[in-house]
Parts: sequence; structure tokens; C-alpha cells
Amino acid sequence: MKLGWKLRSDIVGWALGTLTVVFLAYQWLPILTLGLLSFAGPTGGTTFPMNGVSLHWYAELWKATVMNDFKPPLVRSSLLAAACALTTIVLSVMSAQAMRGRFRGNNWFFYLMLLGIMAPGILVGFGFAVLMRLLGIELAWNTTTFLVQVSWTLPFGFLTMLAVFNRFDSRVEEAALTLGASRITAFRRITLPLILPGVIGAGLFGFSLSYDEYPRSMFTTGPDQTLPLAIMAQLDRQLTPEIYAIGTTTTAFSLIAVLMCSSALWAMRRSTSARRS
Amino acid sequence: MDALAQAVREAPATARPQLDLELRGIRKRYGGFTAVDGVSLKVPKGRFVCLLGPSGCGKTTTLRCVAGLEDPDDGDILIGGKEATRDPPWERDIAMMFQDFALFPHMTVAKQVGFGLEMLKKPKAAIAERVKQVLASFEIAQLADRKPANLSGGQRQRVALARAMITEPRILLLDEPIGALDYSLRETVMLELKLLQQRTGISFIWVTHDQNEAFSLGDLVVVMNHARIEQQGSPEEILQRPATAFVASFVQGNNVFHGRVVRAGDGLLLVETACGSFLVPGRGPTIGSEVSFSVRAELITDLLADPHLNRLAARCTAVEYFGSLRRHVFERPDGEVMKVDQFGAYAARIVAGQRVELGWRPQDTVLHTGSAE
Repeated sequence: MKLGWKLRSDIVGWALGTLTVVFLAYQWLPILTLGLLSFAGPTGGTTFPMNGVSLHWYAELWKATVMNDFKPPLVRSSLLAAACALTTIVLSVMSAQAMRGRFRGNNWFFYLMLLGIMAPGILVGFGFAVLMRLLGIELAWNTTTFLVQVSWTLPFGFLTMLAVFNRFDSRVEEAALTLGASRITAFRRITLPLILPGVIGAGLFGFSLSYDEYPRSMFTTGPDQTLPLAIMAQLDRQLTPEIYAIGTTTTAFSLIAVLMCSSALWAMRRSTSARRS
Repeated sequence: MDALAQAVREAPATARPQLDLELRGIRKRYGGFTAVDGVSLKVPKGRFVCLLGPSGCGKTTTLRCVAGLEDPDDGDILIGGKEATRDPPWERDIAMMFQDFALFPHMTVAKQVGFGLEMLKKPKAAIAERVKQVLASFEIAQLADRKPANLSGGQRQRVALARAMITEPRILLLDEPIGALDYSLRETVMLELKLLQQRTGISFIWVTHDQNEAFSLGDLVVVMNHARIEQQGSPEEILQRPATAFVASFVQGNNVFHGRVVRAGDGLLLVETACGSFLVPGRGPTIGSEVSFSVRAELITDLLADPHLNRLAARCTAVEYFGSLRRHVFERPDGEVMKVDQFGAYAARIVAGQRVELGWRPQDTVLHTGSAE
């Protein structure tokens, strides 16, 4: 007997739903594994089965020795990521705005912007380090690493903002202009609030891409390491569940950051939509 | 001749302060495309002006030049007698209503209606007070806390209008302002807008492709085509004396003929066309020159009498009814369509398929004298 098309589409729906759940598990299980192992007992190793359950490795992380103190790299990476996020936001909004106007050579500009995504990170990092040596500029996490990471995060923000402006109705800006708003006021009062979700998205790209960037940081950072470099160095020396504790902690931080951003957005929406007179 | 149209055309240079808007030879090109080609217009104080024309004729670009949203390549714009060609939009004494209203999606009705006053840096309390008044006068006070997403089409239109009118600009520019509304709403809204314009004395520049809008609203109708003004005048003038073949054919109910003058004299021309020779009042054209003329559909009759000197036999292909108007569609000898209107609810004399001898008086024929300037 032939099945009705509604029933068939239900079956397909269930099949695709199952596939999605499996895929999500595939994405999350490795992280979950690390999370579980980070709670291993003091004698625990880095593989299953777990040797007891404790917060020992989190305590270790907190009272770290000089050799494996992850707090300074963590602070550096957070600051670096925040700076990258801010820079990405400002530059990607400006460059996407420029693309709206269509200028001479805007195609070239577009492809040059995307070069940062195309170029292999390790070569970009290495080449940049060589160039800096040539120029006699000292490598440091907050100068050279910052510059090379922005070249990596900016294209993502740029593409995000291009997509946002693609759906943007510029007549609302024009309406503001005819109502007496200058260009700057119109941007502040009309454009920015409307593109804000995209702006936050560009910022999140900037933050997360910078925070765990390894290849571009490897050659450009100098003596004070960023978190991924410090973790990599630690992996070379000895492998303990402390690494997992770091991973779990930073993942938790990232999740909290994302949640805060989205709830802030939600609260803003609410306050403007349900204002009582 | 219509007194207003004459006043518009002959307004002396010294009367400039009384003009709300003056355009002098506005030109705007986009690459190889000329969107506006030398448009000149004078709008005396407190007039309702309709820019009428097919899409792509340059009417919206002209409007955007007045708003300052486009920079004309050439020409001058004077607003209230003051040179404003290079002023940015926010410094011009205008407001604009956009085709789909362009409401700010993130602002409540009260907030966006007050936006113009906020830009003028008025005190908060005064703004709140004025917004309340304006919302009440537009009968949308109950919508003050809503956002555009939660408004109907008619409500959005009112909000957009309130937002534009609150600062009492000298000129309100309206770009197809009721095009986005349901048909059932349009007539009511048109009447309201006409009354509002008369009450406030603010000049309205209304862009539309709908001649019903233009003729029922405008004090001055400006017909545009191919980036130029074809004719400007009162609705009566444009309906009764179309200046060009384009205006005649664009305005409903005209039958347009093209031909060559074969005899001239006594203020009368004999014009030979593909449908025969017709008498047309006129003095200008000489023998041999190409002319066009038109005759309105309601002035053609099948009840022929002595004065109906212009005659033409044609076959009726269809009969259409518009309320009390009955329109007969004929096929002319040259293959063009000819329309003959009859009024009244009495039974049709002419039926589809019938071949009929039609006629009209020479004095009901309009020679097209003016082309685009």
C-alpha cells in the first residue's frame, strides 16, 4: 500500500531528527569526556576508568606552582580575546558599511578581506614573525599576536555584518535623516540598535576565534604565552587531569559569556517592547 | 485657462518667498542612465502637488532630490525661497513619508512619533505632551506603546504620517504613500490626507503612478515621462487639454491620433491620419507638419448630427461597465483601440461585434501643442 505524503514526511522528519541528535552527541561527547575526567581523584589518570571523584585537579589549578601556573596565560588570553572582539566589531561594522555603498574596487576589497580566512594560519604566523624580526620589532602577546589574530578574526566579523546589512532596510535610515537626524545620530539611534544582534555575533566570533588560536600565536607571541600555548607546553611535559580542569573551566566561562550576551539582548528587547506609559 | 495653473506658471521672480518649493533644471544621472533631465517646478505656498507618471519616469528621484537623499548633478532646489541644493536632509524644512512607511522597527509608536522633536532637542516633557496631542488627533493614542510589527497597514500609515507631521515641516514629501494600503482603505485615507493638507497649509508633494489619486487630490498635477515633465497644470487642464500625445494616452479616456497637416486656415487644421482626415482646431502647425491630437471617449457619439464633422466607422469589440459608465472598445482602421464612453444605466445601443459610424465635433478635438520642455 502506498503511504500518504503526510505520513512519509513525518517519517523523514523523525529520521532527520534522530540524525541531528546523533550529530549533537558526536559534537558534545568529547567535551563531556574531558568534563568528566576533570573530576577524577588525586591519583586519577587521563583516561577511563576514573580513579575516584574529587575537585582535586581544580584545586591544583588554583594553587598552581610557577611551572604550571595557568592563571597569567588565562588572563592574557582573555584580554587578548576581548581586544580582538572589540577590534573585530569596530572594523567589521565599518568595512561592511563601506561595502553597502559600493565603491571603486569593492570586489577587490571583499576578496582581500577574506584572505585572512584562506591563508594557512601557521604560515601567516611564521611569516609575520619573520617580518617583525626583519623590522626589529619585539614579539609580544599584546602587540604582534594581537595584530595577527585580528587579521584572522576580522573576516568572520566582516561576513557576519555583510549578511546583516544585506537584510537591512536602508529606508529607515533615510526616514531618520528626513526627520532631522544627522548621519551619526541616525547610526546611533536607528542603525546600531537594529544591527546589534549581528554586532554581538561578530564580537563572539572575534572572542572565541582569538581565545583558542594556536597556529597564529605560536611564532608571534614572545616570552609571555597565551593560554593555548601554555596548555600545549604543559601537554609536552606531563599529562594530568589538570588540563581537563582548564578545558572545563574555560568552556564554562564561554557558555556563561554567551548566555549573558543573549539574555542582555533579550532583556533589551523586552524593555523596549513592553514599556508602560 | 485655470487661474491656479496660470499663477503657477507666471509666478514672478520677486514672489519667490511665497514659493514653498522651486526646482530649477534638476538633473540626475546614474552612470549612463538619466533619471531626471531638467525638471523645473514652482510650488506656491500650501499646495497639493502630485507628481504623476509611469514607473521609472523620474518622479521618485525628483522627490528624493528635494528630500536631500539624492544629490542632483545640476540645477537648484529652493525650499521656502532659500537655496537648499547642497543642504543635507536633516537641515531641510521637509519631512518624508515612504512607500512602505519605513517605521523604526525597534521603537514604540510614541517614541518614533516623537523622534523629530527629539532631534530638535525639545525638552522631554514638551515632547511627551505634543506626542500625546498628535497621537490623539490621528486617533492612534491607544497604539502609543506598540511596536510597528504589531500594527495593521492602516495603523502604520497613520503612525508614519504622525511621525512626519509632528515637526510641522514646510513641505511633506510622500512617495506612493497609500500604495501599500488595501484598496478599501485608500479612498478614506485620500480624503483624510486632502483635508489634513488643507487644514495645515503644509505643501504636499505626492508621488504616484495612479491618475485617480493625482486628479482627485492635486491642486497641481505634474505629469512626468522619461525623466522629463510632459505637462503641469490643474487636473481639469490636464484632463481637458493634454499637451502631448504621451499625456493624452497616459490619462484614461483619451483617443490619440497621429497625422500630417494637409490644410490649414481660419484656426482649423485638416489632419490626415491612418483612420481618415479630421478637422482639428489649431493655428501653429504649417501644412506638411506632423501633429498629434486627441478626443475624449465621452465626446464621441454614435448619434450623429450636423456638428459631428469628424467621422469614423469602426467595429465594436467589447463593452465594459464601470458603475454608471459604459465603455465601448472599438478597433480603429489603423489597428489601434478606440474607446467610446456612454453614461446612464439605460440599455446599450451598441453591442460587441457591431460596426458603427462614430463622430465628434471638431471643437472637441485637442491638438497637442507642447512637448517636454
